Order: sequence, then structure tokens, then C-alpha cells
Amino acid sequence: MSAPLLELRGLSGGYPPVSVFRGVDMTVGNNEAVGLFGPNGHGKTTLLKTVAGLIDPRDGDIFFAGERLNTEGKMRPRTSRHLNYDLFRRRRISAESVVRQGLIYVMQGNLLFPEMTVEEVLDIAPQAARGRGGAAQMRDLVDAVFPRLRERWHSKIRFLSGGERQMVSIAAGLLALPRLLILDEPTLGLSPKLRIELCEAIAKIRAENVPLIVVDQNVEFLTSLVDRLYLFDHGAITREIDGSAMPSHEEVMTMMFGEAH
Amino acid sequence: MTLETFAFLLASGLVLGGLYALMASGLAVVWTTLGVFNFAHGAMIALGAYIAWQVTQYTTGGAGFLLGAGVSVAIMFCLGFAMHYVLVKPFELHANLVLLAVITTLAAASIMENAILLSWGPRDKQIAPPFTGNIEFLGTAIGIHDFVILAIALAALLALALFLRRTTAGRALRAVAQNREAAELMGFNVSRLVAMTIGLSAATAALAGVFVGSLRFISPTVGTDPLMKSLIVVILGGVTRFTSPIYAAFIVGLAEAFSAYFLVLYWAPAVLFAMMIIVLLIKPEGLFGRRTRTL
Repeated sequence: MSAPLLELRGLSGGYPPVSVFRGVDMTVGNNEAVGLFGPNGHGKTTLLKTVAGLIDPRDGDIFFAGERLNTEGKMRPRTSRHLNYDLFRRRRISAESVVRQGLIYVMQGNLLFPEMTVEEVLDIAPQAARGRGGAAQMRDLVDAVFPRLRERWHSKIRFLSGGERQMVSIAAGLLALPRLLILDEPTLGLSPKLRIELCEAIAKIRAENVPLIVVDQNVEFLTSLVDRLYLFDHGAITREIDGSAMPSHEEVMTMMFGEAH
Repeated sequence: MTLETFAFLLASGLVLGGLYALMASGLAVVWTTLGVFNFAHGAMIALGAYIAWQVTQYTTGGAGFLLGAGVSVAIMFCLGFAMHYVLVKPFELHANLVLLAVITTLAAASIMENAILLSWGPRDKQIAPPFTGNIEFLGTAIGIHDFVILAIALAALLALALFLRRTTAGRALRAVAQNREAAELMGFNVSRLVAMTIGLSAATAALAGVFVGSLRFISPTVGTDPLMKSLIVVILGGVTRFTSPIYAAFIVGLAEAFSAYFLVLYWAPAVLFAMMIIVLLIKPEGLFGRRTRTL
């Protein structure tokens, strides 16, 4: 395999002083879709937020398209209780530059901007992709995948349903021309009908060769979509499953929780 | 009350309302974006007025007045932009940001007022109103200058509103105000956008200062009273929409003009505060507000 698109090497992090995940090694190849599956509250979102640059990593490295996204080295522990430590603290990773590189994270249950219309949100979304080509193509893809958004073009985000809001989030992510798109539980809290609609939309996006990291609680959906699956448990990756041997839901449960789950 | 008196009070109430609208929307924009009340806003008004006064010393007439206003707005925008990095940004990660920002902005207000005192001296100044002459309004003569001020204030507010609604940069500012994390994930430089917001707020303060300076005398503390009034306006109107403080500003301006006539001038603030308390008792989020604050 050629050099991977995204590579995490021994990545650890969390919300200081709490450590949430540690020693995560993970790769996403060019044109690859990778799934991340694991119980709620075990740090998947924290891991992905770190990769997206919202949270400083504690240790380890994030390489994207051959470039290091984080400052080299370990996070220094807070040394003084008395000085304004924040004044001297440098962020070790910046969401702005991560997004500029084309690594787009679509947040879980994203509330977006409640008082803005769909049109306004999708107008500012491509800002991140300034100077990169392919915008018109992406707009066509968004129109093809989410025809529903055109109907709600001038509605405020506040008045949209959860599913529609998720569609706006993903559409905004696509308009930023992702070289890698991270979808964090895109189907969380949706009705079964909307869920199917959204899963189909994601499959269509995948068909356009957009590299993906997808987190979902539905093993069947994940295994039908992705090339590789990572199982994530207690803040670490416990198993990597190759595309040739995608397991069923039952098998995954057994892998994670043992026979008597 | 004769029709003439009524027309006079109406006109002065509207001019006051226009001024308060300008100041209060500057305050409200920062409040919605940062969740911080900028106590330096009053000193910014004063500094804006002094800068414009200095420019009008070298120029004359309407063009000089407008040039002074322009220079003042430009300088204050830069100052506001810089203030973010000095007064707010270093404390951003701190849990008590709101309290710290109260203190830092109060400190900035005090520093600015004393700097004004040092550089321009204690003697009151006035920016000569360039537009002289009166026009007939419902039987009373009202200065053209008042109308010009009201018109410019409304035009500036309209321009600001259009900027926030229609342009990509303005939409980005609103995005930061509504959901900071999501704005970061869209690749915006959030700090710079917040600094721009404070800059815009300072620019409106400067414009208001120029107007105040041409209506009254300028002293280093000229901004204190307008700051108090804009605070009332912001709380009375709520900050849900860009327009809510503007409506409230005209209500406050008119209430002040009429209460100064029917009661005594000194009672005007008491009337305004009473009005604010009653409104808050009935509708805590303000007259035109909802519970959430957004831009």
C-alpha cells in the first residue's frame, strides 16, 4: 500500500487531566472508507475531535497526506497553579489548518447555526476550500444526494428536523471539498425512514470515491459501506477487521464483549 | 401640550433613539458573540469623538465633518480589533472569562479616558455642526443637522445589517456567534472574526461619538451616560435579533425626551430604569427577545 492518507501514531488525548484514549494507531488509505465501531462513552468522538483539531492531543502524531498536523512532542503538563497558564499555552493543533488541509469532521448531533438559513450555511461552508478546484462538481453532488435541502433552502436551521440538520451538516462538509470526510454517528437519533434515506445518501457519497471515516452503531450499515473496520473499546482500538472478512452484528458483539454479552 | 411641543419632543426623541440604536447595536453584537459586556464602549464613544474633533480642526464644513467621522471610524475599528487580543483572548480559556472581561474592559475604559485627558486636556470641546439651518416639521423648526445625524445613523445600521446578512464575511461573524465549535470546524479563524466583531462595535461607537460630539460638548467622560442608556436599551429590547435593540433604542429615546418634558430632566434615568424593571418582571428576555441569544 502507498503512503496512507491519514495516519495516527500512538495518539493519546482527552480533556486534561482526564485521559480518554491512548495509544491509538489507525490508518486510512487513499480512496478508502474506514468504519469505527464501539460502545458509547468510550472516547470515539473525543478521538475524532482531536484529529479534527478541536482538542489538543497529549501524545502521539497525526499525519495527513504526508504532513504532520500537530506540534511535535508531548503536551507539557500544567506546571504552575498560580500563573495564567493559558496565556502561554500554545495550541498543539489548530482546527483551522486541519480543515484547510481538507480533513473535514462532521460533528455528532451538530446543532450548526440555529438562526441561519440552509442557504446561508451552505454559502459559508466552501470558505475552507478556498483555492482548491472542484467546487461546482461538489455542489452537483450535494444537490443529487440531498434533494430535500432545496425544499428547505430558506428555512432557519432551528426549524429543521434532526435528519435535515444532519443533511445540512454533511452537505456543508462536502462543500468544503474534503480529501477525507469524517462522519460521527450521522444517523444518531433519526427515525427509521430518515435513517435509511441518510444511509443511502452516504453510500452515494462513497460511490463518488470520497474517503471516509464513519462512526455508527449499526454494524450492518458499516460493513456494507466500509473497506475496513476498527473496533474501539475503552479508549483504544482493540481490533482491526479487513474487508474480506466483515463480521455480522452478533460476531462483532462477541468480539467486543465475549460470549455472554 | 401644543402640536409644536409634541413635534419638537418627537424629533429630539427620534434623534436620541438613533444615537442609542447605534451604540446599543455595537454593544449587542459583542454581547451575542462573546457573551461579554464591553464596559469600554463608553470610552470608545469619547475617543471616537475626540479623534473626529481633531480632524475637524484642520478641515471645515460638511466634508470636514464627514472626513472626521470616517477617520475616527477607521481608527476605532483597528483599536477594537486590537483590543480583542489584549483584553479578551488571553483569558479565553479561563473559567471566569465574563468576570475577567468586565475588569479588563473597565480598565481599558479608565485608561482610554485618562489618555484622552492627557492628550486633549480637560477643557470641553465641540465638533462644529456643519449642517446649519432649520426645516419646518409639524410647525416647529428642527435643525437639519439632527436629520442628517438620524439619517446617517439609520444608514449605518442598515449597512451593518446587510453586511451581517448578505455577505460571506458577515455570515461568518454570525456563525461564530451562534456556534463557535462548528464555526471552527468550518475552517474559520475564530479569533480574527471575534476581533473583527469588536472592531465593528468600536466603529459604531466612534460614529455615535462623532454625533454626540456635534450635539453636546465632549469631555473625557462623555460616553458614560450613553453607555448607561445603551445598557438599558440592550436589556430592555433583548438581543435575539439584530433589530431588537434598535426598536428598544427608539422607545428609550422617545421615553427620555417626553419624560424630560413632563417630569424633570433629572428624572429621565429613573423613568427609564423603572421601565426596564417592569419589562424585565413581565418578560425577562426583553421586549423583543427570546431566551436564547444569537445574532
